[in-house]
Amino acid sequence: MSNPFDEKSAGLTISNLEVLPGKRVKTHLGVVQGSTVRAKHAGKDILAGLKNIVGGELKGYTELLQEARDEATERMVQQAKSVGANAILNVRYTTTSITMGAAEILAYGTAVILE
Amino acid sequence: MRFENRAPEETVNYADEHPLKEFALLVVGVLGAVALGAALLGFFAGELAARVPFATEREYAQSITLKFEQAKLGPAQRGTRDELRALAGKLAAAMPLPPDMTIRVHYADEPTVNAMATLGGNLVFYRGLLHKLDSEDAIAMVLAHEMAHVYLRHPARAMGRGVAVGLVLSAVSVGAGRSIGGEAAQRAAVLPLLKYSRDQERAADELALRALVKVYGHAGGAADVFKVLGSAVAGEAARLAILQTHPLTDERLALLQELSRGNGWPSDGPRTPLAAALRPAGAKE
Amino acid sequence: MGWLDFLDWIIFLTLLAVGYFAGRAAEARHYASIRKREQELAKVLAFATKYPPAAHLPQHTRLVAGSVVVGSDYFKQFVAGLRTLLGGRMKSYETLLDRARREAVLRMKEEARRHGYRLIVNVKVESTNITGGNRGGLPAVEAFAYGTALKPPAADGSQRAV
Repeated sequence: MSNPFDEKSAGLTISNLEVLPGKRVKTHLGVVQGSTVRAKHAGKDILAGLKNIVGGELKGYTELLQEARDEATERMVQQAKSVGANAILNVRYTTTSITMGAAEILAYGTAVILE
Repeated sequence: MRFENRAPEETVNYADEHPLKEFALLVVGVLGAVALGAALLGFFAGELAARVPFATEREYAQSITLKFEQAKLGPAQRGTRDELRALAGKLAAAMPLPPDMTIRVHYADEPTVNAMATLGGNLVFYRGLLHKLDSEDAIAMVLAHEMAHVYLRHPARAMGRGVAVGLVLSAVSVGAGRSIGGEAAQRAAVLPLLKYSRDQERAADELALRALVKVYGHAGGAADVFKVLGSAVAGEAARLAILQTHPLTDERLALLQELSRGNGWPSDGPRTPLAAALRPAGAKE
Repeated sequence: MGWLDFLDWIIFLTLLAVGYFAGRAAEARHYASIRKREQELAKVLAFATKYPPAAHLPQHTRLVAGSVVVGSDYFKQFVAGLRTLLGGRMKSYETLLDRARREAVLRMKEEARRHGYRLIVNVKVESTNITGGNRGGLPAVEAFAYGTALKPPAADGSQRAV
């Protein structure tokens, strides 16, 4: 799966900085956001339940959240492209856990046109 | 302007102590406090309940009394019940019951191997237990034991304690929810209840033995009952004494021996045969 | 003798022991790995400030991130459950969050290095509770670290590994 953070594949620059070094913002286009809610299927959940006894990294959940985050970022990029931006600045992420094995990720930032 | 990263001190964000230290502190401190709190609250609630006048308890338990009185019994069962009541009357004369403490014996035609005393002086004798006892002495011991519970206000005390411990349990479940630690705390809260229950059983056993010996001259019937009850509880050999509501059978028999020796009671003697109405009808054992 | 009642307790104590020993071992291993990699990645600088050095010069930028979900064990959960009745520091979970945060930052640095970056600014770290089971409490925690990695543009556009 392509990495949405990769400039070349996303088609625009993403950063959590407000100001990119050496670049000037020509136009601010407003807030864009992307969110997903993802749940892991039961099989991975059972393994996590067993891991609950011994501890350690829950790789299944790590992947779940990474995928959700990637998707949220892609959606945010899609919104930005739709308004004609070539960069998204001041990107922030929030995560909320929703009941058993489900998480909501929100990615939001300011869509801009850089000179 | 210089830009560098320096590694900060590690043990700022976590406690650098052995996890078993916290474990020990919490187990002793929290579980101990919960058990102690439940024990104290239970004790005082029980004492309070026992001070409610028996007349008030009987009135409060009217619905229970009515429920038992209205159970359908055939003529043979009614005969059994009346015989049980006569026997109870004989025993009551040998016990220091206050005049207003009325005991009502009910016979339940069910296979449960048990007899119980509940609020308001109500006694229930189940068919299952009755048919396992083969002498009047044994039946008298059961009746005397339950009557002793009533005399000592045990049903009321148990109810008071149950309410108090219930409060502790709900406090724990609000605090710790369904976590493993919370469940452990709930079990800790119930332990004192079990201890009080065992103490009550011992007290009832002692009082019942006195009455039994007064009426029959010896304590043989008691040993019969303990043995029957002991074999009725499945897997009694594999039980932990501290988690039971009753003392283990061996302990009850030991108490019987001790009291007999201490008071000079004969521990055995001829058993009075069962009256016809108390014998099982048909081929039932 | 008395094993029937014990069965309940035996299962409980076994789980507790397994959780304690396995958990401690996993934690020690993880911390050893974290400390080693923190030394290795010390060259990749990370800052929480927004304003990068040489802000007036054009640079390559890339959003880099790292995340991890760390689960707690039976022993930690038991101790935490009792702690919620007493109050105070939940020492059994402090190490969990510390490990998760440091691991997430390390993974972020690793990603930066993988693409040839040596500087990350505006680093943010957030932790989330992942209740993956039916017990109350905190069975697992997720830490997510992200920031903007910067490097001066190479003349020929190639990326050099650190």
